[in-house]
Amino acid sequence: MTKIVKLRLNQQQLELIDRTIAQGVAVDRETLVRLALREYAAARKADTVVETAR
Amino acid sequence: MTSRQIISEFILEPGTGKAIELLKGQILRIEQVEGGQCADFNCFNLHDYKEFMHCGRTRTVHGFHPTTGTFMWSAPPRERAMLYILEDTVGRNDVLFPRCSAYVYEAAYGFAVHTNCHDIQAEAQREYGLTPDDVHDSFNLFMCTGVDEDGHAFMTRQTSKPGDYVDLLALMDVLTVPNVCGADVMKTSNFALKPLKLTVSAASDVDLAKVPSVPILASQRTPKDFRNPIIKTDRPLRRDPAYKAEFPNTPIVITELPIRLTREEVAMFNAVKRTDIYGDDDAAALRDLLFSWWEERFLQAHAGAPAIGNP
Repeated sequence: MTKIVKLRLNQQQLELIDRTIAQGVAVDRETLVRLALREYAAARKADTVVETAR
Repeated sequence: MTSRQIISEFILEPGTGKAIELLKGQILRIEQVEGGQCADFNCFNLHDYKEFMHCGRTRTVHGFHPTTGTFMWSAPPRERAMLYILEDTVGRNDVLFPRCSAYVYEAAYGFAVHTNCHDIQAEAQREYGLTPDDVHDSFNLFMCTGVDEDGHAFMTRQTSKPGDYVDLLALMDVLTVPNVCGADVMKTSNFALKPLKLTVSAASDVDLAKVPSVPILASQRTPKDFRNPIIKTDRPLRRDPAYKAEFPNTPIVITELPIRLTREEVAMFNAVKRTDIYGDDDAAALRDLLFSWWEERFLQAHAGAPAIGNP
């Protein structure tokens, strides 16, 4: 099931993500947020694997 | 200059301090004579005393125990690197504790009068027209401190030996104010007051080449940028009837940004979102995730610290 989350960002937060987009990290705001989610989740999954292996 | 040239030497006797002009490119060596002596230290921009070394800023950038290879920073909104710690043979300094004061010795030990770093600093800098209110929290050289499990700062004995030293290189013209810490009934200086040796030298080319570059940014503001650049000369505070608030970036305006998550992304989000903090507020949890990710991916130094590079 898909889901829509309505992010609430102020102008300073939008400026930061727009500058990040301008560096070529993502093509638009929504793509950037989804990239953040994938990378953030992947990093936590990797951490979990390392913790489990110990 | 191929080698350091000594300009002056001075012995700082117990219970005293000394205001010393240190011009850009000069080095102040603070050296143990007998060992085991804490030196409290402050400095001001020689041409504008309102710019001064700020322990809060310095500890944000370099941690609780700055040593060789770190800077002493001035307070916001200046936030400039004032001094560079060129060499430190012990490697244990403190920016957690404020200078000790007369109040401490009266309240805790019952002394009517006792040597204390605030009053020593005040007396030393009086030579340059500064008042006791102009003393700031000190950078405490050779002082051995930490934070216990309850979050309290503690101090313990130090291990410095005769000849140990810290070399401070001026990156701008400053008035330095080192003093022999007045604490003889605490562990700070191993329960004794001892002299310190001060040496001012002109830095060599090798010394100057060791200083990493730090960014020069528009946010490092000076009085020419202030809406009120005038130093207040009377003591009472009175409201300015003409005052009109001009806070930057206000009003804060919120924009809604809908993000459509796929089934796979919803599963990822549910696995990592901070429900312990945000409960069922997914918008707040996703905002947290977004900026947490940004910090992890793009911040180059500790939070609030500039990226310091090679020269």
